[in-house]
Amino acid sequence: MKRGFAALSLGGLALAQEAHRVAITHPGGSYNQEVAFLYPWVYFFSFLVFLVVAGALAYVVLKFRAKPGQEGEPPQIHGNDRLEVVWTLIPLAIILILFGLTAKALIQVNRPIPGSLKVEVTGYQFWWDFNYPELGFRNSNELILPAGVPVELEITSKDVIHSFWVPGLAGKRDAIPGQKTLLHFTPKEPGNYYGFCAELCGPSHSRMLFRVVVLPKEEFDRFVEAAKAPQPPWPTSGASRSSSRTAPPATAWPGACPLRSSDPSLGFSETAPAWRQASWRTPRKTSRPGSRTPPP
Amino acid sequence: MGWTFYYPFSVQSGSGVDFYMAAILLLGFSSLLGNANFIATIYNLRAQGMSLWKMPIYVWSVFAASVLNLFSLAGLTSASLLVLLDRKIGLTWFNPDIGGDPVLFQQFFWFYSHPTVYVMLLPYLGILAEVASTFARKPLFGYRQMVWAQMGIVVLGTMVWAHHMFTVGESTLFQIAFAFFTALIAVPTGVKLFNIIGTLWGGHLQMKTPLYWVLGFIFNFLLGGITGVMLSMTPLDYHFQDSYFVVAHFHNVLMAGSGFGAFAGLYYWWPKMTGRMYDERLGRLHFWLFLVGYLLTFLPQYVLGYLGMPRRYYTYNADIAGWPELNLLSTLGAYILGLGGLVWIYAMWKSLRSGPKAPENPWGGYTLEWLTASPPKAHNFDVQLPAEFPSERPLYDWQKKGVELKPEDPGHIHLPNSSFWPFYAAATLFAFFVSVAALPVPNVWMWVFLALFAYGLVRWALEDEYSHPVEHHTVTGKSNAWMGMAWFIVSEVGLFAILIAGYLYLRLSGHAVPPEERPALWLALLNTFFLVSSSFTVHFAHHDLRRGRFHPFRFGLLVTILLGVLFFLFQAWEFYQFHHHSSWQENLWTAAFFTIVGLHGLHVVIGGFGLILAYLQALRGKITLHNHGTLEAASMYWHLVDAVWLFIVTIFYLW
Repeated sequence: MKRGFAALSLGGLALAQEAHRVAITHPGGSYNQEVAFLYPWVYFFSFLVFLVVAGALAYVVLKFRAKPGQEGEPPQIHGNDRLEVVWTLIPLAIILILFGLTAKALIQVNRPIPGSLKVEVTGYQFWWDFNYPELGFRNSNELILPAGVPVELEITSKDVIHSFWVPGLAGKRDAIPGQKTLLHFTPKEPGNYYGFCAELCGPSHSRMLFRVVVLPKEEFDRFVEAAKAPQPPWPTSGASRSSSRTAPPATAWPGACPLRSSDPSLGFSETAPAWRQASWRTPRKTSRPGSRTPPP
Repeated sequence: MGWTFYYPFSVQSGSGVDFYMAAILLLGFSSLLGNANFIATIYNLRAQGMSLWKMPIYVWSVFAASVLNLFSLAGLTSASLLVLLDRKIGLTWFNPDIGGDPVLFQQFFWFYSHPTVYVMLLPYLGILAEVASTFARKPLFGYRQMVWAQMGIVVLGTMVWAHHMFTVGESTLFQIAFAFFTALIAVPTGVKLFNIIGTLWGGHLQMKTPLYWVLGFIFNFLLGGITGVMLSMTPLDYHFQDSYFVVAHFHNVLMAGSGFGAFAGLYYWWPKMTGRMYDERLGRLHFWLFLVGYLLTFLPQYVLGYLGMPRRYYTYNADIAGWPELNLLSTLGAYILGLGGLVWIYAMWKSLRSGPKAPENPWGGYTLEWLTASPPKAHNFDVQLPAEFPSERPLYDWQKKGVELKPEDPGHIHLPNSSFWPFYAAATLFAFFVSVAALPVPNVWMWVFLALFAYGLVRWALEDEYSHPVEHHTVTGKSNAWMGMAWFIVSEVGLFAILIAGYLYLRLSGHAVPPEERPALWLALLNTFFLVSSSFTVHFAHHDLRRGRFHPFRFGLLVTILLGVLFFLFQAWEFYQFHHHSSWQENLWTAAFFTIVGLHGLHVVIGGFGLILAYLQALRGKITLHNHGTLEAASMYWHLVDAVWLFIVTIFYLW
């Protein structure tokens, strides 16, 4: 904690954030990179407005405080039309500039990218299912993506509304039962990214976490091969596993931040990666109050 | 489930939701009546000579907030009514299993729940301007511009709701439009802020507690305004939405904005309300604890939003750099806020117990309330008000002109009698909603309480309002009943408009498909005949009353009521038949039919009951040439019921 406070300087925080990549300014994917140009603009105008208005406020307090023994009344000024026009038009101009930039960035980030890898993302109370229809396998709570390849996430829910959010990669998108929402971006930087459910969905909403593992392209291809292999390359712990094709551990990827078993927020098994436990078939009720067994 | 009670989570959650929905409906009803009352009072009962442009800015702000509430509350009413119906009887518009649209719920919900933040802001903007003017010893800077800015906020406030729903996947164009209006609303809000600073500029600032809250407000609201513009930038909002950034933002504008405005008003009018002064040192201590506590609580949350922390998380991974430290700071800030709250309660308690007696006008206020005693007497003014209002600061103007205020003749003071029945009616209606929430619907208790409520209304209507005949004069010449009902009808039109818009959306998008077997058209046309005729009969009855022809009046009223009863009986029969022959829990068209037509039926009952009250008053001889009792309001309402029915026939029976 002590060291944490020391790190609270902006630079220190940014550096420390590298470990989990949860900062929304982290340039992990094309989305965050494409909207990054908005920040300097909005900061510039924000500081400008702040300095002018807070400055005026400070001036008023220091200058116009009633002095002891002050007699008479101050000049009774009822307004100034020219000033009104000025302080209507200047904010309007700022707003229009920011709006133009907003529209530009919005159109860009919402545009489908040709040649995207499609992943079907389904929210359940309180876990995520990731299906790769083009590659022929699925996984729970861990989304493995290739770096540099555009992806199209087709997001939906099987119960209540959830929201899919990986701050270090892209903005959030709601998972709505009966509907499909799309999220397009290209993961750029390999590594592990924390993801969250961002729409209150029940008692274990704050435990409905997942992670995205972005692998270099070759690494990803090897992973897909292994995932589609009929026999898993590791000893199985029992017959309870379904026969579906599941994926090998990606945490072997060097430099990846391992999800610790003591981590209170992830429903992963303590002894094996999620896909080995097929944990999405039997969410652990003890660790996620309110969760219900999903339909088979 | 959160205050937003998003569908379908709200139908999955516990029975608390039923109480929440019932409470929203009851509170919504009461706030609409309150708004209509405010507006009728503002239009009709101003002091003679006080034109609209001479009203205190605070009165303007209450007017603006009331208009906005009347116009938009329908969204929340629709959302909560439909969730309650879904939970209680399985009638649903939103259930995706039968093709319903959970996003439609959000459209309904935010149609009100964004404007509501302006309903929660506007009155405080008025208070802050009043306090700034009084304590700077200056008139308002840009009084008219402030009023226009307020009305601009009202208009724009109704056009921004979907910025709460940027992440639901609506079309990009839709999002751009809402981003534009969202950003635009910063302009009139900024104008308000600048004018408050302009009011302080060049003044002799009396550094008393209410002014501290104004200064704190300006600083906090500035931060909230800036971050509000950031939130309007949709691609950034995709990140900020439902993160701690947005938590910090809305506390910035509501708690440190409106909340500080509320405290400014509380300290400002406390001597007037209680007749006691408070301790300035305690007031200032309260302010500083709140300001520091607030900044410490919420500024770290902006950073937490940047660091990707979602809101409504009660636990998190403590390894994530910055999260535990920033949350600890927030918690410390919350304790300081709590301490400030204790100081506040102590300051109020101490003032009530041992505060010095407050003079009539401790701050040198410029507006009429400062002419009254502290606390004000039931009849408010002991003096006659001059009929000339040179500006919005009558006390200042009259003093400059040396106007002598003559004492009021006690014989001119008329106060209405006290009555038990308003309280009784409120209590029984409350009990009705409790039984709706707590028990399966329908149940015996709700009918019992509804009957008791109706009994109370009858007793109330038959009571003498004044112990001797009084003639009311209003500024507009329209009666208070007319003015109040006219504005209340705005909200009713809004309610049907919202629901019908939702139905049209479901129908046109192909979600709501009419079943093969539909309610018969001939019956609807027959009912249309009854209802339209009854609009004529009530009109002629009222006409007869104005001419003093009491017997034809009573007969016309009776015929109207009977036509209404006929309509209701036919409708009830149709509902009974159709509900047996339709799968109303599985078809969206049928669900919409029962909701909208049923709601209209409820309005027929309410309107008919209003007419019955008028008829009873007529039988008792309470309705005279000058006192039309509840007739005027009831007949206006009856015309509304008639007009809405014509829409319903078109969209449900003909189409």
